[in-house]
Order: sequence, then structure tokens, then C-alpha cells
Amino acid sequence: MKTLAVVVTTPPYSHLTITALTYVEAALVAGINVIGVFFYQDGAMHANKNISIASDEYQAIEHWQRLHQQYQLPLHICITAAEKRGIACDVIDNNQINKAFTVSGLGELVELTTKASRLVQF
Amino acid sequence: MSTLHLVRQSAFATNDFAQCLSVFDHQDSIVLMDDGCYSLKHSLMDSLLKRVDGTLNINIIASHAKARAIETMATINHIDMADVVDLTFNHNKVITWQ
Amino acid sequence: MTSIELATSVVLSKECGLAIINSKAPFSSTYGKDALDVALIFGSFEQKVSLFFQGDGVYQLIANQDGRLVSIKDYLKTFSAFEFYDIEDIYVCQQSLVNRQLDEAFHINDVQVLTSIEFGLALNRHQHILRF
Repeated sequence: MKTLAVVVTTPPYSHLTITALTYVEAALVAGINVIGVFFYQDGAMHANKNISIASDEYQAIEHWQRLHQQYQLPLHICITAAEKRGIACDVIDNNQINKAFTVSGLGELVELTTKASRLVQF
Repeated sequence: MSTLHLVRQSAFATNDFAQCLSVFDHQDSIVLMDDGCYSLKHSLMDSLLKRVDGTLNINIIASHAKARAIETMATINHIDMADVVDLTFNHNKVITWQ
Repeated sequence: MTSIELATSVVLSKECGLAIINSKAPFSSTYGKDALDVALIFGSFEQKVSLFFQGDGVYQLIANQDGRLVSIKDYLKTFSAFEFYDIEDIYVCQQSLVNRQLDEAFHINDVQVLTSIEFGLALNRHQHILRF
């Protein structure tokens, strides 16, 4: 079984994130079992619901949400990286966190890494 | 024990590509993507291509190169993201140089 | 070599664990600290993790640095705790040291200085690689 874990370290407004998204979608379309995407460093900003990107620009967050819904793709954000960037993670029913994302610790990255046959960083 | 190297930064801007080449093994493959595509015209790439005499697997994401108006050559494979996924599993591991 | 010894060496040579390549100098960005956090978590989950220092990353290992002088909490001090996390494989690229006119004087013990070829081979012994 081909299993893939992906680490994303770029923010939603970075054009580098488009490459990550295109790659993950290509893997899903190819039938690869993508066991999770872990958002680390500036990647954690993806879960911030207050981010608003001009409507004629690439909507990275919407695309991650779409992949999450269509393929049940697990999206994990690193809690330490998120809190450092102003995303409050301590309250349940948090209005600031996009529901497609799961607040996780770095332990989740350990889990993904040990389960995946390939780990790819973007 | 082959490695797939994803090169995402211009060799004119950072030392990443030089570092990639310093650990590069003959069974490995390179994918130039994002600004890494600009590395195609760097002298490091010229000497790499001369050294290995066409036996190396060097790839460029066609849309990334075309978007940047980078003139490519026939010795380089022009690929898309589905090919990168295939390459991921044809190699034992992946290093992203970004 | 007996068949058992041979089998053992095959098992030992199988790629395993995570390699983290550190490529940035310690103080102007948080890459070094972010990489350290990943390494310590892998260590505390008893997963094999090895640290590689290449390019400007070698500056993270150099002795006599003091981040406090520039108001930075000195995460480099935590490097001395690696043994408690069973992080034993710490490799530095010799060529990167030479290019920067650096001596092999590090603020932690048991750092292995490797040629580019050895550095590449050591990386190859791991299953997964992250680079910060």
C-alpha cells in the first residue's frame, strides 16, 4: 500500500503552497493513500478563519477544505506554531479555527511519519 | 537507496542546489519546481550535465518552466505533478530543498 | 560471515528513522528551533532521529555563541540534552565548515564530521528526511 504523509510549512498566501496543493491532489487522484497533511511553521496559518485573500487570487484554504471534504483528507495544524501566529487553540468551539483542520501537536507528525511509506515536505 | 530531490529555489539566490548536489548519488533524480526551475541555467547545472553525460534523471515541471519563460532542453524530462507522485514512490525517499 | 550475522547486518543497514537537515544559521530565523522541537518530539516518542548540519546550518553547532546578547532565548543550550532523548547521531558537513573557515569546535560533544560523500551516505540510511 502506497501511503503518503505531507508536511506544509508555507502560509496560505504563498505561491509555494499552490505547488503543495497540486501535488497532494495529484496523489489523491492517483489513488495514493494520503494519511495526512501536517501544517507546521507558517503552514499553521491555514487554519485561521480570519485570513482573507482577494477573491481573484488563488484560494489555498478553500482548496484544502475541498480536498478534506472530497477525500476525507486529514489536515493537522501544529498547535504551538498556530498559537505563536495568533490562532487561539485553547477553547472548544473556537470561531477562529477553520473546521476542516484538526488542532494537533508535533506528536501527530511522529505518528504520520512512522505510518507513511513516504514523507514529503513543501 | 535512491533519493528524489525536489529543488524549489533558484541556485542564483541560495546555496540549496549546491548542497543538494553535494549529497547527490548517481541513482538519484532531480525535479526542478517553482523557482528551482531557474537553476536549469546555473553553471552548477551545466557542469552536472557535462559530468554525467546524459545518464542522469533530471526533470522539470513543464508548467512551472513555461510560466517563467524558461527555455528548456531535450536532455531534461518535462513532467507534470502526477509524474512527481510516481517519482515519489519510484525512489526510496524525498528531500525538499527549499 | 554466518547467515545469522548476514541477516543481522541486512536488518541494520535497512533505512530507518528520520533525518533532519539543518541548513540555516541559528539567530535570524526560527528554523533551527522549529527543527529542534521536531527532533525532541521524535526522541521522546522513542523514534530514531538523526541531525545533519549543512551549509549555514553548521553555525548552530559552533562553540561560544550567546544569543542573549541579541535578546534571543538560547535554544542551542538544549542541544546538550540530546543524550537524554537518545539522539546520538549528529553529523556535520566538513566542506561547509571549511567553506566558512570554521574549526571543528562545537558546543556539544560527539558531533561527527563527515566528508560530502559520507554525509550523503549517512543521510541515505534514513527512511524519511525533513530539511529546515
